[in-house]
Amino acid sequence: MKKTLITASLATLLGTAAAAQEIGATIAAFDDNFLTVMRNGMTDHAASLDGVNLQVEDASNDLAKQIDQVRNFVASGVDAIIVNIVDTSAGAAITEAAGNTPLVFVNRQPDNVDSLPDTQAFVASNEIESGTLEAFQICVNLRAAGKAGGATGYLMNGELSNQAAVQRSKDVHDVIGMDMCNFMTLLDEQTANWSRDQAQDLMTNWMSSGEPFDFVIANNDEMAIGAIQAMNAGGIDMAAVEVGGVDATQDALVAMQAGELDVTVFQDAFGQGAGSVDTALALANGEDVDSKVYIPFQLVTPENIENFLTKN
Amino acid sequence: MADTSQGTGGLTFDHSKRSWPNELNILLALIIIIAIFELVGQTFPYMNGQSFLFDTNDRFDSIFNEARLQIIILQVAIIGIIALGVTQVIITGGIDLSSGPLVAATAMVAMSFAQTELVNGNPNPKALFGVWAMDLPVVIPIVVGLTFGAFIGAINGTFIAYFRIPPFIATLGMFLICRGIALLWSNGQPVSFPTESFKFLGSGMMPVVWFLALAAVFHIILRFTVYGKHTYAIGSNEVAARMSGINVRRHKVMVYMIASMLAAFAGIVLSSKGATAQAGMGEFYELFAIAMAVIGGISLTGGRGSIIGTVLGAMVIGVIRSGFTYVKLDGSYQLVAMGAIIIAAVVLDQYRQRNRA
Repeated sequence: MKKTLITASLATLLGTAAAAQEIGATIAAFDDNFLTVMRNGMTDHAASLDGVNLQVEDASNDLAKQIDQVRNFVASGVDAIIVNIVDTSAGAAITEAAGNTPLVFVNRQPDNVDSLPDTQAFVASNEIESGTLEAFQICVNLRAAGKAGGATGYLMNGELSNQAAVQRSKDVHDVIGMDMCNFMTLLDEQTANWSRDQAQDLMTNWMSSGEPFDFVIANNDEMAIGAIQAMNAGGIDMAAVEVGGVDATQDALVAMQAGELDVTVFQDAFGQGAGSVDTALALANGEDVDSKVYIPFQLVTPENIENFLTKN
Repeated sequence: MADTSQGTGGLTFDHSKRSWPNELNILLALIIIIAIFELVGQTFPYMNGQSFLFDTNDRFDSIFNEARLQIIILQVAIIGIIALGVTQVIITGGIDLSSGPLVAATAMVAMSFAQTELVNGNPNPKALFGVWAMDLPVVIPIVVGLTFGAFIGAINGTFIAYFRIPPFIATLGMFLICRGIALLWSNGQPVSFPTESFKFLGSGMMPVVWFLALAAVFHIILRFTVYGKHTYAIGSNEVAARMSGINVRRHKVMVYMIASMLAAFAGIVLSSKGATAQAGMGEFYELFAIAMAVIGGISLTGGRGSIIGTVLGAMVIGVIRSGFTYVKLDGSYQLVAMGAIIIAAVVLDQYRQRNRA
């Protein structure tokens, strides 16, 4: 696996590291499930390394607070900073606040990712993979179900201000635009703000129009589960509807085992967290690091679900 | 509620002045909004002549699109339960900003005692406590959740009534404290996979059943009991209420406790509906609950408002949410429309009040 290779190579680079490295990290929000797994990846990995102290702070979705946290880290002389940015369009401000202190952006891609100084890097999964993997597998499943003559469905967007949501939805449109998948038609697409509760209501609203549909593609698992709960309540045969999400959360995997969720995509949150710590240490030691370190996405279906049950 | 819609329960009006109950205005607004959506559906070609409220494809036994009627009220039922409590708080001249985070905190706390041991035959992957907290009777998470809510409400009420902290500040502080508790409870992790009996509390149309049943109960309590009369009296004129022998402080604590218990119950129903409790739940619920009461004609200076108004206010928000999905406009437009309607509701109401006086 690429992730272990990266970790291993970085670990060897670190063989000569000096003792007691201080890393400061700021996470966009502590109440986000995915970011919590990522945060655990960071803390667990840092704890497993000798002489690394990691301090993690919550930016509570407040960009100004996050910039101050970065300044505070610089003022207290940390060796490296890890930032899970609140607002992806504010990369330049964070980059500037860090000054010469090595800095790693993790998970969320800042808008200045292509112009980062040598002391900064970006660790994440390549967002373009997730929506594509998800939508293409739904397309393949629909074909296998004999619906290549025409299939209709819905797309649930995450928060419209979020770069991952925009990218995933664009990928879905791109897949539907392919010759192989252009039998798929979207009846409507709307946002449910990543939330299970809002997705339930949105799906029930869609179903109340009475239009038949064959698939529901959601930007994340929470919304896919909300859609499934609404369809269950509405008495829809889940075997006849293809449902896709992204994240491979525990709740989603249970829904997949129950035969309700058909496709999800595993984003290695834990691996991203650990990778960000390794990259931060490499930068702190003056190593040459790629400005973009990618941790791959993996498709999860009922066939390979066993490999993911204990991962997130 | 013409006779109590302005002033304390004990006072009567000069009925020679035109008194058209405020609730009828909201009902009228509701009908106008529905008519606009129907018109859009019939006018624009992309809608394929689909009707908003009526059954155009002969899917149901009645002439209505029953699925639409259900979702209109289902999607506001849980916030509606909070609004029932917020209505009482606002009638006393107070405000409660802590209800949204309290929903999240209660969901986490209650769900921790509602988890099931086995999920699809495997151990619960989200188990928070040991096996001792698994597969408990459904009454335990309910009691734990409501007790937690009552505790938070008692703190709110005590600081407001006895320490004279302005309600806005006291409940703003509690807003942050509750969000913090929700985050701390399981370190940001969701708590999922409840027992079947717990899931029943929020399944199907159950949230609506709770909402309407509680609305009926509190409508009766506010209109016909001493508790109700005191609540209106305190909001109309607190000094006069105290002079006339009402224990204002104790009564306020009671009102905040009831409001928080209703928010806590909303949290229990919400976590049951989604079969999960998450620290980020209930975002903006406190504001939508206040909005329901405001659209329902409540006065933020206290003394005026009703449960029926709030229920109708909830219906207005439900119709707008469903209607915008029906005409395939995105959520951002909904927010703009909802904001405009909240402001319009207050403007119209003030205009009406001036004319009456």
